[in-house]
Formats: sequence, structure tokens, C-alpha cells
Amino acid sequence: MSVRADTLLLAPGRMRRRRREALIGLGLLLPAAALVFGFALFPVGYNVWLGFFAKHSLRATSTWVGLGNYAQLLGDPDFWRSVWLATVYAVGSTALQIVVGVAAALVLHERFPGSHFLRGVALFPYMIPTVIAVFVWRWLMNDLYGVIPYMLSALPIPGLPEAWLTHGTIMWVLIILSVWTFFPFVLVNVLARLQTIPPELYDAARVDGASAVRQFIHVTLPQLRNVLLIVLLLRGIWMFTKFDVPWLLGFGGGAGEAIRTLPVFTYQRSFTYYQAGMGAALSNVMLALLLMAVTIYFIALLPESENDDA
Amino acid sequence: MREPRSRALSRGAAWGLRLGLFVFCAFPLYWMLVSSLKVSHELLASPPTFVPHEWELRAYRKLFYETNFWTYFQNTVVVAALTTVIVIVAGVIGAYSLTRYAFPARAFVARLTLLAYMFPPIIMLVPLFLLARELGLTNSLPGLALTYISFSLPYALWILRAFFQAIPIELEHAALIDGANRAQALAYVVMPLALPGIIATAIFTFIVAWNDFLFALVLIGKDELKTLAIGINEFFHMAVVDWGLIMAAGVMVTIPALVFFVAVQRYLIAGWGAGGLKG
Repeated sequence: MSVRADTLLLAPGRMRRRRREALIGLGLLLPAAALVFGFALFPVGYNVWLGFFAKHSLRATSTWVGLGNYAQLLGDPDFWRSVWLATVYAVGSTALQIVVGVAAALVLHERFPGSHFLRGVALFPYMIPTVIAVFVWRWLMNDLYGVIPYMLSALPIPGLPEAWLTHGTIMWVLIILSVWTFFPFVLVNVLARLQTIPPELYDAARVDGASAVRQFIHVTLPQLRNVLLIVLLLRGIWMFTKFDVPWLLGFGGGAGEAIRTLPVFTYQRSFTYYQAGMGAALSNVMLALLLMAVTIYFIALLPESENDDA
Repeated sequence: MREPRSRALSRGAAWGLRLGLFVFCAFPLYWMLVSSLKVSHELLASPPTFVPHEWELRAYRKLFYETNFWTYFQNTVVVAALTTVIVIVAGVIGAYSLTRYAFPARAFVARLTLLAYMFPPIIMLVPLFLLARELGLTNSLPGLALTYISFSLPYALWILRAFFQAIPIELEHAALIDGANRAQALAYVVMPLALPGIIATAIFTFIVAWNDFLFALVLIGKDELKTLAIGINEFFHMAVVDWGLIMAAGVMVTIPALVFFVAVQRYLIAGWGAGGLKG
């Protein structure tokens, strides 16, 4: 295990002193480590164990079923449908968040009158509680009184639906509302990275006669590669496993079936049908997908940078 | 001055994009505010009015006098504050340890923190619920705060670690050489420099706890213990859905976030650059 140069060792090489340092360091880490272990790592491990049992959520008894829960899931069309819906939601909303986030970062990277104010406005949707964001969008898109359907109906676009919170279109509302809430995460990370690109790169491209579009493709995008990979990974994981947004949008009276993603399905198994073992097995499916994504990410990114500062 | 027309065009396009971004972000918030202030018949009028002809505070009066909103508000403050105190105390000394002391498996612990930071709450839902029941921590605000540690501490550790790494170690070396002891170096050299990062992390932690819906939904059943997220959700279970009331609740929940945000925007942006806000 490598020991970095950034430790506070005044007299290196003295074994006793070094051991004392290590003990103090571990001691200071102990409260945080114990809490992370107790409230995050242990529950995840316990969950893996629970996935092998048939267990009622409110009763103490449990029965070992081995891989029974997983076998049952493989044959359950509702499970496969929830995986598909979660994938559509994660891919659609993540892709749009990245497009909107990068565009907004390019807009806000320039200085103009009011740029500070606009930056504040653009970040703010991320600070609003999810519950409020969903309720505001349910009101904006309301089938009878919604202002957005009203404005859209004034546009000369053929084939636009009259009601949006219905089976065929609620997924679109879910995606748009999620982009509105979560794109600032992309915006901030990309903006921070844009500010570190050396201006000489653009000067050189301009001397070579590159247009703004070509400068973006050949100078900006390669510089953004790593931050975009990180953002793609984190947002992809968090959108795939997002529970509250689809639940609050769809199961408060809307067409919930059409957006019953894997996390919603998991919640219903655990707390509507009280199948804690099945709920745990479903969480483990998400955990496995998460670990796969993280592994791919480390393989893809490690040759570029050895440090672990995301 | 060779291409005045194309330059004017691109300036126009730039302002168009800025305006588009502004409308996309701000219009839903504006609509929430005016909807909370409209009189009932205007709220449901077709076509909708973009600037209310009449306005009133009916929805706010109803919110404070006829619902348990204030109780929910206090409960949320208690849970979020408790979470923040625990997470910041454990996180600051943990992050200091991770960046200033050499011990075996330090890099491994850092990686594990990053992994735990990525864990979405839904993965821990069933086990934390079962454990909370086992320990009698359901229908308890401190119990709820403890479950928030599961997702806020790894992320606080991760960001604080980045902040502490950014403070040059040479400054502490210099203080030690000048005769300060380690506690003095921490108090007078490291802490003043780390303070913006600690404030930013504390705000993130508070907001993440303030915003949670899932754990509160599962762990809190008694109305007098509900937090804002699950309490406001109950407004939809009234006989007639009162959109003015719901929008008023939205405004009242958004105001504390707005105050925080404006007061500390520069810290927030520093913190976001270092690790991002989870959600």
C-alpha cells in the first residue's frame, strides 16, 4: 500500500513514531468508519444475505429459499418490464441532462451582464426538494388546468396529446421533469472543468482557422472527456435507481403503471406486498448493476488518470 | 469590424440561449409562486392568467391554520440539523485523518468511501427498515436522522477529503517548525482554510436530509412526526386537491433553500466543483 508524501511526518524513518502516527490516524477515522460501516456497508451486506430468504416485512420469521427469489424474478414479466422502464428512464433522462448541462455550461462560461444571476437561477432547481419539484410539474402538466399543455395547444404542431399525465406520455413528463431537477449537477461539474482549459488551446485552433463548432469538437470535448464519463456514470446510476420522482409523479393519481421502474417495483414488493426477501433480491440486482458500472468506469478511466479524485 | 452582420447574429443567438435557459429554469418556480397567490376561480381558469388579476393569501392561511405544516417544518429542521451535526463532526475528523496521517489501507478506505457515496438509498431500504424496527427506531426523529447517515456521511467524507487535500501541507509543516504543536496547527492553520469547504458540506448534508422522501415514507407513520416531504404528500389525499395550498407549501419549503443558497452561493459552487451534490 503506497504511503503518500502528503503526511505530516517530521522525523520519517523512526518506526515507533510512525506507528504512533498510524494509530492516531486510525483513531480519528474510527467514528466515521464505524458509522459508514454500520449504516451503509453492513446494511448492503445484510441485504445480500436477506435476498436468500422468503421473509414478511413485518414478521420476524424467515425461510431460506436459496436462489428462489431470483428464479422467481427471471420468470416474472412485471420484473422485466420494470427493468426496461428504468432503462428507458435512465438513458433518456441522463442523455438529456448531459446535453442541457453542457449547453448551459457553455452559455454560463462566458461573462455577460447578469451572468452571475443566471448561474444562480440555473443551479437552483437542484436545491428544491424532489417532492416540490414533482408537484410543481404535476401542476404545470395538469390534464385540465396545466399551463404547459395550454401553451403547447396554441402551437401548430399536429398530433400533440391533449393530456400528458396519461399512459402513453407520462414517461416524457417524467424525463423532462428529471432533466429540469438534475441537470445542474452536470452544469456545475462541466463548468468547473471548462474554467481549467488553457486558453492557448483555443488560440491555436483559431490560428488554424477552426470554426466555433470545430473548436468545440476538437478542443473542448476531448478536455471534457473525463468529467463527462464521471457525470455519465453517477447520473446513470442515480437515475436508474431513482425512486421518489417516478413514485410521486405516477402513484399520486397519474398513470403509474407506465413508469413503474425497478426502484418503484422494489418498493412495492417490500412495502405493498410485504415481501422483504424479494425486495432485498431486487435491491441486489441493482447493486450488481451498480458494481458492474463502477468496474467498467474504473477500467475506462484508469489509464487516463491514476488519482482517485472524482 | 469585418463581419458586422454575422457578429450581430451570433450575439443575438447568445442572448436567445441565455433567455431560453432562464425561462426553462425559472418559469416553473414563477408558476408555483403565482399559483399560490391566485384566488380559487382564477387558479382553475382557462385560459390561465400569467399575471394574476387578483391575488390573496388564502392558501397560506389555510396552510398554517388548517394543516400540520408547521409541525412538519419543525420535524424536518430537527432531523436535518441532527444529521448535519453527526455527519460534520465525524466527517471532518475522518477526512483530516485520511489526508494527514499515514496508515495501512488508507487508499482502500478512500475507495470504499467513494463506493459507498455511489450507493443509492433504495439499495439500503429493506435492511435499514428491518434494522430500525429491530432497534425500535421507527417513528423516531433521531432514528430517521441515523438512517440519513447511510447516504450523507460517505459523501461528506469524500468532499471534505478533497477540500483537505487542497490545503497545502507545507503550511502545517511551517507551523510545526515554528514551534506550534499539532493541535495548534490544526486550529490556526488548517481550520480557517477548511472552513468554506466545511460550510459547503454542512449545507449539502442539511439539504439532502431536508429533501429526503424515501426513508421518511418507510420509517415515519405518526402524523405528528412527519417531515415536510411526506407531510405535504398527504395534501393529495384530501377530498378535493387544493393546488393553491400545495403550491403555497412548495413556496414555504423553497424559501429556506433559497435563503441558504443566496447566502452561501460562492461556497456552494466551490463544493460542487470538488465532489458534487448527491441526488
